[in-house]
Amino acid sequence: MIRFRDASVVYDGGVRALSNLDLEIGDGEFVVVVGLSGAGKSTLIRAVNGLVPLTSGHLEVNGREVPGLDRTGLRELRSEVGMVFQGFNLVDRTSVLNNVLMGRLHRVPTWRTLLGRYPADDVALAAAALDRVGILDKARVRANHLSGGQRQRVGIARALAQEPSIILADEPVASLDPPTSHVVMRYLKQISNELGITTVVNLHFLDLATAYADRIIGLRAGELVFDGPGEDCDAAVFESIYGRSLTADDTMDKQAAM
Amino acid sequence: MTDAAVDRLPPRPAPGRFTVLSGLGALVLTVLTARAVDFDPTGLVTDLTRPNSVVEGLLDPDWSQIWSRRSRRAFIETLQLAVLGTAGGSIVALPLALYATDYGAPNRVVQVVLRLINSVIRSLPDLLWALLFVSAVGIGALSGLLALFFFSIAVVSKLTADTLDGIDRGPIEAGVAAGASNTSMLRTAVLPQILPSYVSFVLYGFEINLRASAVIGLVGAGGIGERIQFFQGRGEWDKLWGLVLLFFLVVFLVERISIVLRRRLV
Repeated sequence: MIRFRDASVVYDGGVRALSNLDLEIGDGEFVVVVGLSGAGKSTLIRAVNGLVPLTSGHLEVNGREVPGLDRTGLRELRSEVGMVFQGFNLVDRTSVLNNVLMGRLHRVPTWRTLLGRYPADDVALAAAALDRVGILDKARVRANHLSGGQRQRVGIARALAQEPSIILADEPVASLDPPTSHVVMRYLKQISNELGITTVVNLHFLDLATAYADRIIGLRAGELVFDGPGEDCDAAVFESIYGRSLTADDTMDKQAAM
Repeated sequence: MTDAAVDRLPPRPAPGRFTVLSGLGALVLTVLTARAVDFDPTGLVTDLTRPNSVVEGLLDPDWSQIWSRRSRRAFIETLQLAVLGTAGGSIVALPLALYATDYGAPNRVVQVVLRLINSVIRSLPDLLWALLFVSAVGIGALSGLLALFFFSIAVVSKLTADTLDGIDRGPIEAGVAAGASNTSMLRTAVLPQILPSYVSFVLYGFEINLRASAVIGLVGAGGIGERIQFFQGRGEWDKLWGLVLLFFLVVFLVERISIVLRRRLV
């Protein structure tokens, strides 16, 4: 359960990235957040695992009040929240398996990570995560030898290896081509459904959002301007989110056709 | 299309005032300092043509030092000093550099203290470290080892710190978001990125230390330098040059090997 109440984030320099947000995301939901760049999508996602602190207001994640957490509390929270990134954020110079094992760092003792000797259970979890996204055979390959889509699947496996109750995905397909984007979105959706993982995905392509989201949240200048099921999200709604009518830039299929 | 594009190039901008002033300043400073130290190129020629036992030794070096037991021992001691000093210093330099970064420091206090330690160590040259330890623990190889140890920390931690500034921050964010401890994050997200450079810096540190070990011997910190000073004191220039040329050969070989290895790394 993720619950924002009157939550605001103001960055140094006075930029209001989130403005008095009230939002509740229930367990197991698959939510897509849409909005222009700068609308506060990234800030919303990074507030959930405490990477960006709230300036004011309340945020409850899995029964914890995030703004009050100390360093240990934050680590515990983050151990339950997997994260998938736009730029994949993999370590290129090491194996795919080592990258996925980073998802186990919250549990593996520091001395073991120093020696690179991971417990068998954790290696098993990492392998299972790789298997779920269909690239177990690449486990011993160096991460920089993979294609973009494969790299993002490693990113998903790393989040999955945490055995999270929540997965946050920040523009997970923004650096991928359309077919690969659909593969990655399908894995995210499937994992959320089968394992009951609450998933929050930032997207800027509207057709992708309506194709996969159970629920769409529209942000504009840090404010919630839409919250409803994907099928309610028509052109008029998008206009209210984007402040202008749709263009080819806003849908992946049309952009790919250009 | 009648006038060529080259004729329509915008005029080259005039050099800025800063460029002109700093260029003039550098010229004036060079002339002033040359006068202050009485620089005179003719001295170079006249002094070289004067009968000079040092130069005569260089023209006819005595190679027998290759086979002398004491010189061989001094050589081995120099190599040992360089290896041990580099190994020890490099191991200490890695955490000193990692925990002084803005993403790796556990807190502000540790970061400030480490940066202070780093800059103090970096500000002393090899010869001063040797003098310091010769006066602290006495003449001999131990003071040489300590000097090279601290000198290695300075070299390796400086170069590693520069590399750490330029790494990909993405994996760090991933590690933090996964709930990793600070040290685990550094080990898994940062170390693999800098490891080849770090190993290359250790090899480079070894090259520098090998050369430095000759210099620090001059102030009594053991190794080949002590032997060089011994011949200098006795005025046996032919033997001294034989030894120096031999040392040059060893340094040259080690450097070639090290350069080949480092090229394969990065």
